[in-house]
Amino acid sequence: MDEAFAVDEREAIGFVHLVVQGELDVATATALREHLYAAVDRGRGPIVVDLLAVTFIDSTALGVLIGTKEHSDQRGIDFLLVMEEPRILKIFEITGLTELFSIAPTVAEAVNR
Amino acid sequence: MSSPEDGSPEVRTISEPVKLSIPVQSDLILLARLTAATVASRVGFDVEEVDDLRLAVDELCVLVADGVGAGRLNLTFITTGGGVEVVCTLDNLGTAVEHDGGEHGERDLSVRILDALVDEHSQEFENGQRRGWLRKRSVRHEHS
Repeated sequence: MDEAFAVDEREAIGFVHLVVQGELDVATATALREHLYAAVDRGRGPIVVDLLAVTFIDSTALGVLIGTKEHSDQRGIDFLLVMEEPRILKIFEITGLTELFSIAPTVAEAVNR
Repeated sequence: MSSPEDGSPEVRTISEPVKLSIPVQSDLILLARLTAATVASRVGFDVEEVDDLRLAVDELCVLVADGVGAGRLNLTFITTGGGVEVVCTLDNLGTAVEHDGGEHGERDLSVRILDALVDEHSQEFENGQRRGWLRKRSVRHEHS
């Protein structure tokens, strides 16, 4: 069974590390948006959204990520995504969002770009 | 239960359409995904194709239910010689509004996802009825 949706903030030096897990869809989009916007609004540095434990993502969740990137851009905060699962990466590729987002396969690579 | 000796998924037919009716409620769309995955597996789709159909059906539901606060989504899954057709309609359009594309172009994203994942799809909004339709064939069957 897939893990339930959750967003956790992990200790990190110089950036905000958000670990997202579970299915990202119309049912979880509102909660996802609240977590991400809150992290941007705290303004503690670049936001790294770790999607390694995400098992499903649809257009609704992609809309949340796009909105959060715009929100963070307006505040001059970097918004970075981490993913390596081919079936998740494929959704970003077919929607052309690999051009919009900075995407890395690990957290270390994301923060060092 | 046995599988073919070559290790490929066992292909079984579903003689009758599979029908699912769910309230328009965000946390119930996963039932549509679950049904899509079950039907796709049953007709011999590989793992990637099952994932594709699961996401495509989710997007179809999101498009058909877009902007609607109440009503029911009715889904019919029909297996057709190595493929699956899905029809999604919406009952009770009392609170329906025209699609506005979403705050961040989610409707356009849905259409791009469907374009990439299925062979054919369409959405109609006329005569007080919203209807979405898609068809996906298994690559394995296209080559056989």
